[in-house]
Amino acid sequence: MLTSELNELLTRTGPDTAMGQLFRRYWLPALLAEELPEPDSPPVRVKLLSERLIAFRDSHGRYGLMDEFCAHRGASLWFGRVAEGGLRCAYHGWKYDVTGQCVEVPSEPDNSSFCSNVKLRSYPLVRVGDILWAYLGEPENQPPLPEFEFVHVPAEQTFTSKRWQESNWLQALEGGIDSSHVSWLHSGQLKTDPLFKGAKGNQYNLSDFKPFFEVAESPGGLFVGARRNAEDGHYYWRITPWVMPSFTVVPPRGDHPVHGHFWVPIDDENCWVYTFDYHPVRALTAQERQAMMDGFGVHSENIPGTYRPVQNKDNDYLMDRATQRSGENFSGVRGIAIQDASLQESMGPIVDRSKERLVPADSGIIKARQKLRRAAVALRDHGTPPPGTEPEHQRVRSAAVVLPRHESFIESCRDAVSVRPGVRQSSV
Amino acid sequence: MRPVLLNSCARAATAAEARFRIDAPIVPSRGARVFALDGPAEEIVRRIAARPWATARFFGHAGDGRVRPLVGVSTVDISAELDGADVAVLVATSPDGARAAAAVGEHCRARGTMTAGLVVDGGAGALDAVAMLRPYARVLLLTGDEDDIAAVLTALRA
Ligand code: FES
Ligand SMILES: [Fe+2]
Repeated sequence: MLTSELNELLTRTGPDTAMGQLFRRYWLPALLAEELPEPDSPPVRVKLLSERLIAFRDSHGRYGLMDEFCAHRGASLWFGRVAEGGLRCAYHGWKYDVTGQCVEVPSEPDNSSFCSNVKLRSYPLVRVGDILWAYLGEPENQPPLPEFEFVHVPAEQTFTSKRWQESNWLQALEGGIDSSHVSWLHSGQLKTDPLFKGAKGNQYNLSDFKPFFEVAESPGGLFVGARRNAEDGHYYWRITPWVMPSFTVVPPRGDHPVHGHFWVPIDDENCWVYTFDYHPVRALTAQERQAMMDGFGVHSENIPGTYRPVQNKDNDYLMDRATQRSGENFSGVRGIAIQDASLQESMGPIVDRSKERLVPADSGIIKARQKLRRAAVALRDHGTPPPGTEPEHQRVRSAAVVLPRHESFIESCRDAVSVRPGVRQSSV
Repeated sequence: MRPVLLNSCARAATAAEARFRIDAPIVPSRGARVFALDGPAEEIVRRIAARPWATARFFGHAGDGRVRPLVGVSTVDISAELDGADVAVLVATSPDGARAAAAVGEHCRARGTMTAGLVVDGGAGALDAVAMLRPYARVLLLTGDEDDIAAVLTALRA
């Protein structure tokens, strides 16, 4: 359990909160690049860390991210026109550039300098990989750009989708750290999902339901190791890295692409789940890419034109008791992503952690909360920069390996959990 | 498909509905038994034991693989102490407590008691301590922060 005060501390990410300040020290996914595909694309509303923003791309292809509401009388700039190097409010025609600087106020006389004194709060928005990353903190604290491997491999080796989750970010992240649910909730998919099935490691997963866990700190977060019995004298280890504040990678299966998530607070009761799949050394096949687009693996099938899943809480996630009974889907809900989303959303918008009964197997979650709390308090009280912003903190991989029983995953997997360009993931 | 029932997710999973979660008192854990396996671990456990706990009990080591209460010199019967415990928490900073770890670990295995190992990283011995605990601890946490022990005990309602 967590006290109500700590639960508040960890779940609130608005501008005046300790966790909000922590998140404002990192580059965060704000959009998929596909949402602003070309110069003068229509503007897109973005809500991030409880701030309402508008993103657009000017005629030169530059990205802008700023206050959604016009400085004049507060109309939403989403109705605005993107043209001639700026975004013009649809109401009275005030025009802004990508930095939020007002460059034209039509009601003012020619030669007026009125507009030079009008600027909307804006944030840097930068494309790295298939993601547009935003930094909502103070300019003097801006960290280096993201170094995660999935955004740096060639485009044909990586795929990212996103979905809206109607819950607080932390209960979503906790699902990414807690690998003990995989043998239950996702058991059906280990046998059937095109992006999961067939790996030798799946057999270890399905034949040992009581894994042992080891949790070790990394410079940017944690490594959570789950070990199961393998052949004589060996263990099968699945190692999940977490990089602060909210990046996790699922341990790989065979030669399938490696997947993971970025859990990004929209506001305190909603989050974006950015979901990626990449292969460190080869292009994704056409079938793999199609499966990802169709919502297999950890991706979701979204309502066309939106990032809301087709299976959502308004339709009870299309729960099917017949597939629950047959075991095809352990919970009766189809697809790994929505199996997770359905349960995490069912806890309520912000789960009351003062009512939990945790067990030792939840130690990864306990330790992650502890690190988040420490970092948020150290930043708030002493201005200490949090872990996870440095490029080397982000150059981590997940791994799935078989090791002799006496070997420590921490020592034996130092290479396996580091990004090594041109070297395949460590996976069975 | 449209939700037709009052209890469907769209209604149930809202902040307004969360108010109706039954608010009965939650029973504390049936007991954590915390075993300090070496000298530095015992100092840490002493500091933690001074805080208020519901049912947790704390033990030091006698140096010969036996276990004694934090106060007092007489050794205790490990098996009897594990009666009614939900979890045994083994705290170590080095592999020095191997015999005590084995003694507690074997009793836990025989009784089906859950085990958690917490290695506080004071330096060189930490990875050896992890190796020492690996056969016995179903969950192992290697940490630089002794406050994690209290955090785990709090999370477990100890
Ligand atoms: S409200 Fe935008 S120009 Fe008047
Ligand atoms: Fe999951």
